Amino acid sequence: MKFAILVNEGPYNHQASDSAYLFAKAALDRGHEIFRVFFYYDGVLNATRHAEPPTDDRNVGRNWQKLAEQHQLDLVVCVAAGLRRGIVEDTLAPGFRISGLGQLIEAGIQADRLVAFGD
Amino acid sequence: MEEEFESGVVKKFMYVNRKVPYGTIYALEVLEMILISAAFDQDVHVAFLDDGVYQIKKGQSTGDSGMKNFSPTYRALEGYDIEKLYVEKESLEERGLTEADLLVPVEVLSRTELAQLMSEMDMVLSA
Amino acid sequence: MAYTVSGKTVEADEEGYLVNINEWNEELAGLIAKDENVPMTPEHWEVVNFLREYYAEYQIAPAVRVLTKAIAKKMGPEKGSNKYLYELFPYGPAKQACKIAGLPKPTGCV
Repeated sequence: MKFAILVNEGPYNHQASDSAYLFAKAALDRGHEIFRVFFYYDGVLNATRHAEPPTDDRNVGRNWQKLAEQHQLDLVVCVAAGLRRGIVEDTLAPGFRISGLGQLIEAGIQADRLVAFGD
Repeated sequence: MEEEFESGVVKKFMYVNRKVPYGTIYALEVLEMILISAAFDQDVHVAFLDDGVYQIKKGQSTGDSGMKNFSPTYRALEGYDIEKLYVEKESLEERGLTEADLLVPVEVLSRTELAQLMSEMDMVLSA
Repeated sequence: MAYTVSGKTVEADEEGYLVNINEWNEELAGLIAKDENVPMTPEHWEVVNFLREYYAEYQIAPAVRVLTKAIAKKMGPEKGSNKYLYELFPYGPAKQACKIAGLPKPTGCV
């Protein structure tokens, strides 16, 4: 199945990013396709290059980057939500790209299922 | 300002607003999402339920809070050809509101009717 | 950056959008237009004023598609076209006309 994933919460204030990551990983492991992962609301904070969480805990942003590298995932950060929160080209971690909300709409149209993570 | 995007596919989208307009960013950013999605020629539906009904209540004032009062923007939706707005009847009643308290024309649906409509959607985005 | 109008400094971001939209006035609009190489004719003012009225009513800058439709409705179909608006504002009505009208920078997806 072709999935699109929407991440709606910040990496550490909410379980959404972890759940989305584990979902994506499990889906890929079972041979499904991830068309795109789109980050909106505080979800854009997953894409900061400046996060340095303590090393005895998981690194949510790094997890996305590694997964993207392994599977050529398309990780897209909403430009408007990013501007509001300081996620711009200069602060963007490798593996992510900034684009418009149209990328979410397109993902919704192209994918068989759009799975949203958040409240 | 607008992306070029042509697919020819029209899906049924529903944006579900369940939160108060201020205090969190969700209501404002859902509205921004709706305005952008209008450019993609999809079949867009917007629903207001639970505390989300307060988003379109008349007479909002953010006073000295420093927050932008974005409630007038809901009235711009019509110009964006987004006219399928729904409000849950029970949510209005539970809050002592009626259709006359709302700043945009809506269709009031019962919980059962709204659930039915939701089940007909290709995509439901809720916040 | 900043603009100086009648001895008063008005702050703007690096692209020339006003930091505080309440500081807009017609003289300032003329100054921004000059920076943009847009000669302000009555037709330019008509669009700029229309944008300001739209913003006052709805608290957003309209998408170009919505702007052309609304202008066609109010000022006639010959003015409600992309071609007409781009002739007046070569870099786009969304960017240039909004800037001259003192509206916030459109954050809509580029």
